[in-house]
Amino acid sequence: MRVRIPGLYIVLGLVLAGLIHIVAVLTLPMLAPKSAHARLATLGPANAMIELPAAAPGRQIMPLMAPDVRYAFCRFDLTNGPVRLKATVADELWLIALYTPEGENFYSVAGADMKRAEIDLVIAAADQTVEEAGVDAPESSDDVIVVNSPVTEGIALIRAPLAGPSRATGAERALRSTSCGPYTKSG
Amino acid sequence: MRSLAYFIGTFVAALMLGIGSAWYMIERGSPLTTTKVGPWSGWISEGNPNADPYTKAHVARSGRLPLTSTVARYFVARTDSAGRTLTSACEYSVEGSPLNARWWSLAVYDEYGGLIENPSARYSFNSEEALRHSDGTFRINLSSKARPENWLPSGTADQHFVLLLRIYSPRETDASGIGLIPGDRLPKIERKECE
Repeated sequence: MRVRIPGLYIVLGLVLAGLIHIVAVLTLPMLAPKSAHARLATLGPANAMIELPAAAPGRQIMPLMAPDVRYAFCRFDLTNGPVRLKATVADELWLIALYTPEGENFYSVAGADMKRAEIDLVIAAADQTVEEAGVDAPESSDDVIVVNSPVTEGIALIRAPLAGPSRATGAERALRSTSCGPYTKSG
Repeated sequence: MRSLAYFIGTFVAALMLGIGSAWYMIERGSPLTTTKVGPWSGWISEGNPNADPYTKAHVARSGRLPLTSTVARYFVARTDSAGRTLTSACEYSVEGSPLNARWWSLAVYDEYGGLIENPSARYSFNSEEALRHSDGTFRINLSSKARPENWLPSGTADQHFVLLLRIYSPRETDASGIGLIPGDRLPKIERKECE
């Protein structure tokens, strides 16, 4: 015996499936099991540079972390003003990237693309102004990089890819000398 | 009575189809969001703030912080080049050509993105470490037992695993600035003996 499903129900089902699909795509990110931002928030305070332990079996803060990259991050919070990130880039392989809490990478700079080894990055919200010698004067503007952040809370992540296992200690030492904290006008 | 049953049936089918398709397109991707070359699959706009809702949902759910695709490309393989699921019960030979990028790394993970325990603490090979032939090509031997050349341990327990090829600072880009890795440059994954 064949059951005949009226065409109307098939059309209705497809339209309904389409609507449910759209709602699901828009809500699934919010039902994320554990976002990277939430994982990193358990490791320490905001506006401080924190090194991630080298990825090893059973000891990974985030899934699919690179075992041959050393990471340090700063969970920035611009509520009380801009945040400054300072680092001496030890290697042209280094990458500094800024993220929204949803994991959107809105800014990045590679060690190889920097003119100087010392990077001085000020993260500011759209309504915050950064008065700094060198920012207004174009000729010395590569001293301080001001990045406008679309979010008041986010993540700065420094990656130090290793050129070999013997480089791990050096990379970890270099990452320890990076800093992140509330921005105060430098003299 | 009959129309009520039809209505409920329609609703349940729509629910399964709607959520199922959304889940699949977010977890695994679709031709709209990912490039598939042989066993490799990579999200085109991963990490990009202007990405489509599927890519954004994928990144938000992953718990990762991928670099935007203009700076790095990530390719995941769950099968060998013949389409068979990667398993630690088999040995594989991964044959690669030089990649036009500043740095790359091929790492092996379990199905949940965790590194796999092994006595030599070897979880990946990168562009600086992998032994290469004189023409720049390389071979990485994936096996649960020690192998010569570049040996990447795939775990002793009979389990599925995934390969992740991360390519930092590709030197070529497409028209929209996304790192360009020609498909024929991605490594071939050939299955050898199985237990």
